[in-house]
Amino acid sequence: MTFATWAALAVGLLVAVPIAAHLLRRRRAGIVELPTARLLATSPPNARRRSALEDRSLFSIRALAILGLALLGASPFVSCSHLTLARKGGGSVALVFVIDDSLSMRAPIKDGPPRFDRAKQAALELAGAARDGDSIAIVLAGSEPRVALASTTDTDTAKAALAALEAGDRGTDLPGALAIARDLVKNAPQRDRRVVLLSDLADGHSDAPPLSLDGAMLWYPAPELTAASDGDCAIVLAQRTGQRVTVRIVCSPGATAQGRTLDIETEKGSAAKTVVGEDSEAVVIDVPEGADGDLDARLSEGDAISSDDYAPVTEESHDLSIAVVSDTSLTHVETGGPPPVEQALAALDLGRWVHALPSVPDHEEELSKHAGLILDDPPGLTPEERRAVASWVEGGGTLLLALGKRAAEAPLGAGFGSLVPGVVRFRTEPPSGADVTKCGFFGQSAESLAELAPKGRVTLDHDAMDGAELLCSFSDGEPLLVRRVIGRGAVLIVTLPFDLETSDLVLRPAFLSLLDRFAEGARMRGGPRVVEVGQPLVVPGATKLDAKFLSALDKDPEDVTIERHPDALRVPTQRIGRYVLSIDGASDVRAALAPPTEIDLRPRGIAPTALDTSLGGKADQLDAAPYVALGLLGLLVAELALRLWLGRKDEKPAVTRG
Amino acid sequence: MAQAPRPFEPFDPDWGAFAPLRIRAKSIAEGVYAGMHRSVRRGAGVEFGGQRPYVAGDDLRFIDKRSLLRHERLMIREFETETDRALWLVVDATKSMSFRGRGPGSKYAYASLLAAATARIALGSGDPVGLVVIGGDGSRALPASASREAFERIVWLLASTKPDGDFSSRDGAIESALFPVHERARRGATVVLFSDLVDLPPSAKQAFASVGTRRRRAFATMVLSPDEATLPFRDHARFASLEGDIVIEADPEQLRDGYRARLDALAEEWNGELVRHGGALVRATTDDDPVAVVRSLTMAIAGRLGENAPRREGSS
Repeated sequence: MTFATWAALAVGLLVAVPIAAHLLRRRRAGIVELPTARLLATSPPNARRRSALEDRSLFSIRALAILGLALLGASPFVSCSHLTLARKGGGSVALVFVIDDSLSMRAPIKDGPPRFDRAKQAALELAGAARDGDSIAIVLAGSEPRVALASTTDTDTAKAALAALEAGDRGTDLPGALAIARDLVKNAPQRDRRVVLLSDLADGHSDAPPLSLDGAMLWYPAPELTAASDGDCAIVLAQRTGQRVTVRIVCSPGATAQGRTLDIETEKGSAAKTVVGEDSEAVVIDVPEGADGDLDARLSEGDAISSDDYAPVTEESHDLSIAVVSDTSLTHVETGGPPPVEQALAALDLGRWVHALPSVPDHEEELSKHAGLILDDPPGLTPEERRAVASWVEGGGTLLLALGKRAAEAPLGAGFGSLVPGVVRFRTEPPSGADVTKCGFFGQSAESLAELAPKGRVTLDHDAMDGAELLCSFSDGEPLLVRRVIGRGAVLIVTLPFDLETSDLVLRPAFLSLLDRFAEGARMRGGPRVVEVGQPLVVPGATKLDAKFLSALDKDPEDVTIERHPDALRVPTQRIGRYVLSIDGASDVRAALAPPTEIDLRPRGIAPTALDTSLGGKADQLDAAPYVALGLLGLLVAELALRLWLGRKDEKPAVTRG
Repeated sequence: MAQAPRPFEPFDPDWGAFAPLRIRAKSIAEGVYAGMHRSVRRGAGVEFGGQRPYVAGDDLRFIDKRSLLRHERLMIREFETETDRALWLVVDATKSMSFRGRGPGSKYAYASLLAAATARIALGSGDPVGLVVIGGDGSRALPASASREAFERIVWLLASTKPDGDFSSRDGAIESALFPVHERARRGATVVLFSDLVDLPPSAKQAFASVGTRRRRAFATMVLSPDEATLPFRDHARFASLEGDIVIEADPEQLRDGYRARLDALAEEWNGELVRHGGALVRATTDDDPVAVVRSLTMAIAGRLGENAPRREGSS
């Protein structure tokens, strides 16, 4: 601001004049001549009354008038941070706001509001500049990107939708959000189509190529969102194993959690705490014996984002634990090592999740910590095993059952029951190869099955095919791979064993595809216990699902709206915390944690064209003079009215003495 | 050639809407019906005053024998008493009477107007009127006179008086000022005081009431400014009296009710004292219609206080 502005604003200090006048005036009460004064009794000192402003209303009006005058003097120079929209030839504009609602947007701008609030304010300012004929759409860039408001010309609706937006703890997917925005704007009837990006550009890929957009104009009107802020540390995992809790803390470059206090809390209070040392990657805390309930991990305050200093403690994850039962004496490999199926799982980088079992568990509890089970040519299942496996599958487990000669020779009473209804027969004259056209389940690797040459195969009864899905078949039409859905789980039946003696299936690339799809299915059906915020909690096969969100153990649960997808019900995750699911009446607790990529607050680049000032920008000066002048006029009228009203009451008697 | 002396001194009092006194007083007197007539009191005397039916207890000496013989009716002959019908006006011209406040004129101007109008009425009835001015730039008096010039002299004296003087602490000053009344007013005379009754010394009440002895009657008209009567002030202030150097710092909002009660009590004390001596108190403020006040005063003198009176004694 210039000296003239300061000088004009300094006029506002004159507001002190009426106060000073009052103070001077109140020092001694005025003298009023009254012949009958002797009839008055001295009233007790009432300093408060004397020190009070006699005419508060008039004083207020006059003080406002003085301030108004000062503003009027300064108004032509007053700067105002206000986003405006420049139009090409005055035409209508199609706007798609891409608003980043990721975790990093919770970081505050230096000495200012959180980035998300500033982004929302900028969007509201631009929406306020919209005119008839302009259209507005809103896309949220928090992972997964989604449309918050389809394109509309109703500005009020758009403003209401913008005002209702809330920050979340999601990851960031700017390219995905921009792609959605481009699709929304590309068919707009307006000639001026813009995608307005309001983000801190911190998506964890600061070294990625600058953001740009083909097919639409990308505008980045609020570069202040990328201003540097304090570093941040977050708890990205808090896992309990027995009485030990392992907390993984991730910090943005240059920041450290060293010296901060890590607290493990129960519903009743702190259970254990420690000061984070130099190595904050994995902090291990032992909790006392009595702390058996749910636990929260909380980091003391001291960084840019406070919401990610918290994480619910989860049990050791068995998300993708795969149990394998394979007779090593029959499925050995000449080169040595574990059975082929385990080696294949290791090749898929799933080795750490594999748990080799000597036999099929006959208790469901033993299976409950596994998401998938592979049975390689088992010699039938005992009634206990059968009951345990069937119950586990119905509860969401995924079974990969490879049938071979041993399975077909199962003793009486040791069949597969509901898992594979009917009789399993082994035949030694199979056709050569599979029908590739009917093996889409394997994707491109299905072609590797064209020359499949097993020495024998299992055939299934019609009962087994009843209600089953044929995923791949031999060239003679007999099934090679069948999927049976049982309850919330599924059974994948392969009519070939996973040994090299009978079949060369395990040598085909399609075998890896089979295991990969199996693992994916197991992860999906079992449902991950812990996800990053933004990833949905998928519950396939459930008919009734309710979910509540707990931001902390001592907070009240909040209802979560369930999303219905064709293949499964989903619970969206928006914030860090616990999600208590009720799946067909059974309770299940899962957790959503901070995405590690959001801790990196460094922005990625953006195409220079997005910063083109011809698209609009901040209006540095706002002429408020007309509004201030109107206000002054109003004050004048108010004072006149007030004087008229108080006229008789306030009129002091004329004191004369002849 | 020497300039002729002006007949009147400049009007120092705030006459306001009450000027010119002479014309305003005449106008008011014409508006007042009642006068102070000698027929107001009847009984034993020397001049026949009419007849009335006999009632038990009447003096048998005054039975009209002719009426009894001729009409066989018992009638009593009445005679007017031989009394002094003079009206003495006492006007307070102390410093406090110069106060005007929100009234149309000062208290002294209003009191002078009432006095002059009353004098005009009395003179119109043939009654002699005397005047005593208390305070001012020297207490002065006019002897009772029913001459044609009496009204002019009264107006001149009232108009030429400047309210001044502090009688509040001067015991005996009122007695001295009333000495001409004591000395010259005979039995039957009526004395009327026009004053605010506020800044007079404590002995003033008894001193004036004593005028009402020897079959004289004493009346008083309490003249106040509207400000004095209602205390309309809102702000905390220091209130200074015009006599007695009294300064009281007070919040009028808090003290208004008590003040009015004390004012009423003061009026009641005066009224009580006057009533004991056959008189009465009439209260007025300078914004009251002077015609109504003078009529009320004449009614009081006639013993019919309250009839058509705009302001009753004791009311504020």
